[in-house]
Amino acid sequence: MALAKYLGRKLAWTIVVFFVALILNFLLPRLIPGNPVDAIVGQIAAGGGAGGEQLQKIHEHYMQEFGLDKPLWEQFLIYVGHVLRGNFGTSFGSYPASVNHLVGQALPWTIAIQLPAIIVGWVIGNVLGALAAFKGGWLDRGAFVGSLFFSSVPPFAFAIILLFVVAVKAGVLPVGGAYSFGLSPELSLTFFGDAITYFWLPFWSLVLVFIGGQAVGMRSMAVYELGTDYVNYNRGLGVRDGITVRYIFRNAMLPQFTGLGLAIAGLITGGLITELVFSYPGLGTLLFNAIGQNDYPVIQAITLLITVAVLLANFTVDVLTGFIDPRIRAAQSGER
Amino acid sequence: MGTLVDARNIRGVYYTGAKDVVAVDDVSIRVEEGEVLGLAGESGSGKTTLGSIISLIARPPLHVEQGTLEIDGKVQELGGDARIPRTWRGSVVSMLPQGAMNSISPTKRVRHLVWDVMRSHDRRISKEVALDRARERITALGLPVRVLDAYPHQLSGGMKQRVVTIISTLLNPRLLVADEPTSALDVSSQKILIEMLLEMLDQKFMSGVIFVTHDLPVLRTVATKIAVMYQGRVVESGPTQLMVDRPQHPYTKALMSSVLTPEPKYSKIRIEGMSGFDRTSFDAPAVIHS
Repeated sequence: MALAKYLGRKLAWTIVVFFVALILNFLLPRLIPGNPVDAIVGQIAAGGGAGGEQLQKIHEHYMQEFGLDKPLWEQFLIYVGHVLRGNFGTSFGSYPASVNHLVGQALPWTIAIQLPAIIVGWVIGNVLGALAAFKGGWLDRGAFVGSLFFSSVPPFAFAIILLFVVAVKAGVLPVGGAYSFGLSPELSLTFFGDAITYFWLPFWSLVLVFIGGQAVGMRSMAVYELGTDYVNYNRGLGVRDGITVRYIFRNAMLPQFTGLGLAIAGLITGGLITELVFSYPGLGTLLFNAIGQNDYPVIQAITLLITVAVLLANFTVDVLTGFIDPRIRAAQSGER
Repeated sequence: MGTLVDARNIRGVYYTGAKDVVAVDDVSIRVEEGEVLGLAGESGSGKTTLGSIISLIARPPLHVEQGTLEIDGKVQELGGDARIPRTWRGSVVSMLPQGAMNSISPTKRVRHLVWDVMRSHDRRISKEVALDRARERITALGLPVRVLDAYPHQLSGGMKQRVVTIISTLLNPRLLVADEPTSALDVSSQKILIEMLLEMLDQKFMSGVIFVTHDLPVLRTVATKIAVMYQGRVVESGPTQLMVDRPQHPYTKALMSSVLTPEPKYSKIRIEGMSGFDRTSFDAPAVIHS
C-alpha cells in the first residue's frame, strides 16, 4: 500500500514535469533570433533566378507550409496534437525529410556509442574506486590521480588530443565519420568490421572520462563508509571481511546508482561534443546542425527526447533507490 | 570466583605523524568472574583507547606496542604484529559501541546483522537456528520479537542500544567491553539498559563486563569495582563503595568531588570542580586496593 502510494506520487510529479517541459521545448527554440523561412528564402535568393515577387510567394508558401503564419498558441496546440500521435513534423532545414526519419537515423549511432561507454565506464570506474579505497597504498594513489586527471580534462579537449595523436599523427584509426565512404549501414560483417574502426576513438574518449568520474566518486564514498560505526562494530563482532565489504558496497553504491541513471538520461547531450569532434552522425550532430538552421521541429523533437529520457531515468532511479535504501522509501511514502 | 580477564602491561600509542601520543601507558587490569569493572576518567584519559585494545579492535593510527590478554588461561599477545584470531572478537571478547545509533548499517535489517554475525563464527549454522537464538534472547529480555525485522532508522535510540546490546552478547562472549553505552540515552533509557546488562550478567550471557564511562553516578549503580584513569594510567582502583566513599589518590578525590548529587547541602556550598585542585598532585603514585 505504501509502495503504491509512493509510486503514484512519483508518477504524478513526472507527468506534471513532462507538460512543463513540453511547453518550454516549444517556446525556447522560437526565442532564438531569426526565422527559419528567412534563411531558406535567403538561400534561394542568393542562388539567383527568382525575382522579388516570386521570393515573396515562396516565403508565404513556406510560412503556410510550416504553419508559422498562425498565432503561437494555435501552433502549440497543433504541435501537441501531432506529438501525441507520434508525428514530429517535417524538418525545415532538410525539407522535405520528416523529423521522425532524421531522428530515427541518428539515434542508433548515439546509442551504439554511448550506452556501451556508460556501462563499461560505470562498472570499471566503480570497481576501481572501491578497490583503491580498500587496498590503499600505491594502487590507491595511482588510481586516484589517474581518475582525477581523466575526470577533470574537458571531454572535447581529450577527444581532440586523442584524434590528433591516434588518427592524424599515428594514422592507426580513421579520422572521423561512422563508416567508410561507399558503404551504407546494413547488418553485415563487412559493415560491422568497418564501422568498429570508426567506433573506437569516440568510444574511448567517452569511456576514460566516465571511468575517471565514477572512480573518484566511488573511492570517496567507500573511504567514508570504511570509517563508519557499523564497520567498526562488525569488526568488533568478528564478522568476516567479505561480508562487511558487501555492507560497505551497498551503502557506497547509492549515489553511484543515481549517477548511472542520470548518465543514461544524458546520453544524447553527454556525447554531443564528442560526436562533433569525430563527425559522428548521431543525435548530437543532428541537434547542433538543427540549432544552426533554426530547425524548430528537429530541435523540439530532440529536446523532447532528452526530456523524456531524463524523466524516465529519474523515475526509475527514484523507484530503485527506494528499494535499495529503506530510509528513502520511508521518507517518501511518509511511513515511519 | 576466579579471575576472568587479566590484561597486563598494555601500552597503546597513536602514531599521528608529527608526534606520537601515548594514550595508554603500561596499564594492567583484572576482571573477576561475574564482575563489572567500571573504567572512569576524564576525556583523553585513555579509557576508550584501553577499551578498544581489550576488545581487540585497535587499528591505525592506534598501535599497541605491548601487552597481553589472558582469558580463561588462554594468553593472547596484543603488541606489535601479533595475529589476533578473528573469531576471538565477538565470541571471547565482544564490544558494545559508543555510538550505537549508527552501529547497524542503515540498509540492513536487524536480522541481517544477526545472521551475518552468527555465520561468521559458525559456517554450518542455519539461518533458522541463528534467528531462533536471537528470538529467544530478545523474548527473554522482554523486547518485542518484531525488532528483528526493523531497519535501524525504525528503532528509537533506547531500543537501538538495547538491540545492539543483545547482538553483542549473542555468542556468549566471556567479556563484554561496553564503551559509554548510556551516554546518548535519557535517564529512563539508561536505567532500563543498565538493568538489562545486569540481568544478562546474571543469566551468564557474558561472564564479565568492562564499563567505560565518564558518568560517575551511572558507575556507582552498575560497577562492582572502579578503576580511575588519568593521562594514560590507572591512578586508583578498588571496590566501588571504597572508591566513592574514601578515595585515596588526589585525582580520584578531585573526580569524585566533581559529582553533583541533588542534595540540599549543594545549594549552599561552592563547587570547586577540577580547577580547585593542584594538577601536579595528580602525578602521585597509583593506589591499588585489592
